[in-house]
Amino acid sequence: MSESLVKIENIRAYYKLKNREVKAVDNVSFEIMENEIIGVVGESGCGKSTLSNVLLNNIIKPLTIVGGRVLFKSNGEYVEISSLTREEVRERFWGKEMSLIPQSAMNALMPTIKLSKYVEHLAQSHGIPKNELLKKARKRFEDVDLDPQWLNRYPFELSGGMRQRAVIAIATLLNPQLLIADEPTSALDVVNQKVFLKILLEMKRQGIVKSIIFVTHDIATIRQIADRMLVMYAGKIMEISPVDKIVEKPLNPYTEGLLNSVLTPEPEIKKRGITTIPGTPPNLIEPPSGCRFHPRCPKAMSVCKEKEPKLVEIEPQRKVACFLYSEERA
Amino acid sequence: MFKNMFKPLFKSKKFIIGLSIVLFFILLGIFGPMIYRVDPTEMTWDMEQAPSSTHPLGTDTYGRDILAQLLYGIRSSLYVGFLAALISLVIGTIVGTFSAVRRGITDDLLMSFTNIVLTTPSILIAILIASYLDVRSIEMIAVILGLFQWPWFARAIRAQLMSVLSREYVYLSKMAGYGDFRLIVEDLIPTIATYAFMSFVLFINGGIMGEASLSLIGLGPTEGISLGTILQWSVMMDAIRRGLWWWFVPPGIAIVAVTASLLIISTAMDEVFNPILREE
Amino acid sequence: MSRLVVKNLSKVFSIGFLARRNVEAVKNISFEVKEKEIISLVGESGSGKSTTAKMLLRLIHPTSGKIVFEGKDIWNDIKTNQELKEFRRSLHAVFQDPFASFNPFYPVERTMWQAFRLMDKEYSKNEALELIKDSLVKVGLDPKDILGKYPHQISGGQKQRIMIARCWLLKPKFIIADEPTSMIDASSRGGIIKLLLKLREEQGTSIMFITHDLGLAYYVSDRILVMKEGRIVEDGNPDDVVLNPQHEYTKILVGSIPKLYRKLEDI
Repeated sequence: MSESLVKIENIRAYYKLKNREVKAVDNVSFEIMENEIIGVVGESGCGKSTLSNVLLNNIIKPLTIVGGRVLFKSNGEYVEISSLTREEVRERFWGKEMSLIPQSAMNALMPTIKLSKYVEHLAQSHGIPKNELLKKARKRFEDVDLDPQWLNRYPFELSGGMRQRAVIAIATLLNPQLLIADEPTSALDVVNQKVFLKILLEMKRQGIVKSIIFVTHDIATIRQIADRMLVMYAGKIMEISPVDKIVEKPLNPYTEGLLNSVLTPEPEIKKRGITTIPGTPPNLIEPPSGCRFHPRCPKAMSVCKEKEPKLVEIEPQRKVACFLYSEERA
Repeated sequence: MFKNMFKPLFKSKKFIIGLSIVLFFILLGIFGPMIYRVDPTEMTWDMEQAPSSTHPLGTDTYGRDILAQLLYGIRSSLYVGFLAALISLVIGTIVGTFSAVRRGITDDLLMSFTNIVLTTPSILIAILIASYLDVRSIEMIAVILGLFQWPWFARAIRAQLMSVLSREYVYLSKMAGYGDFRLIVEDLIPTIATYAFMSFVLFINGGIMGEASLSLIGLGPTEGISLGTILQWSVMMDAIRRGLWWWFVPPGIAIVAVTASLLIISTAMDEVFNPILREE
Repeated sequence: MSRLVVKNLSKVFSIGFLARRNVEAVKNISFEVKEKEIISLVGESGSGKSTTAKMLLRLIHPTSGKIVFEGKDIWNDIKTNQELKEFRRSLHAVFQDPFASFNPFYPVERTMWQAFRLMDKEYSKNEALELIKDSLVKVGLDPKDILGKYPHQISGGQKQRIMIARCWLLKPKFIIADEPTSMIDASSRGGIIKLLLKLREEQGTSIMFITHDLGLAYYVSDRILVMKEGRIVEDGNPDDVVLNPQHEYTKILVGSIPKLYRKLEDI
């Protein structure tokens, strides 16, 4: 049984604006195990990107951590990174213990700074000889099927798919334990998406990275690579389960709705048909009472409006927040 | 529609302050000379007098009343500003629109021409033209200034229109049977209107400053009085060294106040119309 | 009978000033669309599918080739305003980006008022408003929530429904849906697709989806055309194209798409 690499405990991260707060991540707890790929799925505005910022402790105003903590296992000990400042975490953890692959490489790379500069900068900030790391970078570029020559080029000279590969090569140079991928494939065409996913899996197979948290709106992608899936809705976790089990039988009605809106070119989909979840996601300034999904839920009961369901384990490894599966349903 | 567009402006304090100052000077320029009926060119024996009850802002070396000059000066400086701005706006809009709509060779040619004008040091050309003309009316100065301010505006209009023209609502209007004219009036003009309005304010500013600069080096209007010419005379007569403050301070304040409040207005408009700068 | 016949259609864009360069966006494509048929034009960005759509909509002029709609060549046989009006009413579109489909300066119902310009019958203002309300209800919207609102006040899914409501008013014979679901959330996607299918059922509309999403194409269409670099490389019924692709490109495309019920073998 592997241990957990990251423990997220009752994290609440709000965007504090002038006279209101957006509860983007609200009382969320889960663990990222060692040697696993966990997929986080949800619609736009459900708090999934905020979650990756919380993991990185990339907390920039107006985002504020209101409560809870994040523990990260480093050298066998759990460090409470949420109590450190952003700068401390950046120095000690970014690049070395955890790395981010953002949605668009253009957000991460200045188009007019040579790729090798990023490597040199990384070496400098972690006290590693530059040449050593550059050598490693050349090797890593070959691993991701990029000509090492590209290191001496500028990001704008690379195509979208190549750029994303360059980002993953540089982000994993120091063999971080955790790779946080925030919608890394959504700007790529499907052929490049697959290439990228292959590289991601290969990195994990070779042990370059230990665990990956993959944030996306695309369930089919998670289905291909992840071990467990975490479904978020309106800042809350609705369900965490092994991917196969979720696809086979979703428990939470929201998960079911999401799955039934997936369109992939498969005969099963045609047979199943496509359904819509009525209504729109709530605003997170004044989320609905009780279960946040109840206004849109086809199976809502009276209790759903009044009480908030807890995330409970109802089968081994399967946790769901829904009164359909709890004792309190009466 | 336009009401909706400009309504948020009046919630901006900056805009209201800027607009009030400019309106004050416009009213001063229009009604001042009608109320204070003193001929600004009439020479009297009260030479270089400090402000007094007969001459509220004193007189210059030739005994001419400064307040009367100032009121006429404000009037003609604003006039030059508006006229120059109008000329720039018209040229810029025409060039920019044609480039964006016609594309192809028309676009290439018009943009090459625009770039040439853009990179030409305009004040030098203005000096050349102005010094070539012996008699320069206020309108002439406005035309000279207006001819050199438009290029960046034309380029911005072209860029904005190009992006709007490939937006889907334009296709949808076309598909609803809109002719070119209706499309321009309903879909294109509102999109560029806020920008054009903002540019117009900056053009007025450019016109007033340009007139003052030309005047200061003696190439301003040879007929009539402007804020620039008042300053030019005071400089010629060494008013600053001799401490005749009532001669150069009022026109100086007027220019700074008008141009500064025009800049405030355009900043305020930028903040209101440009969502990125909006404070929230 | 074929509603739309496209024959040897090509579009060449020339760009640059001194060194003029030709870009062939669409290369000699031909296809037909029958009554009530749903056809999908699938391709990556830059495949020429959007250019094709714009030519069919009579928004850009083809370099060569013919587009015949309901027996009339849309570039040569439409001469009078009346004919153009009828064409615009019969062949309409729903676009990809619901945010760009609305002019931010006007209330959202403007796009529906515009539709009345294409109708032969004159409607009084009240009659027209009633029709607008009816069609909003038809697409599952409450007129109270929509009328008088500005584009930034309603959601992407609602905007896309309004665009379909415009099609309900016009009752076109052919709708070109250019990526109608790519910019809205998954949970509202199904609703948009169903509305388009309902339109087809009730009015016999032919629909052409322009999309990069083979999953969508597979689900909705009677026929799929796969486009790459301006050419149609595969043309067939969805099951053949997806389960038994012939062209190398289609094979790669189908093999790259993540599936829900089976794992890709080679990653």
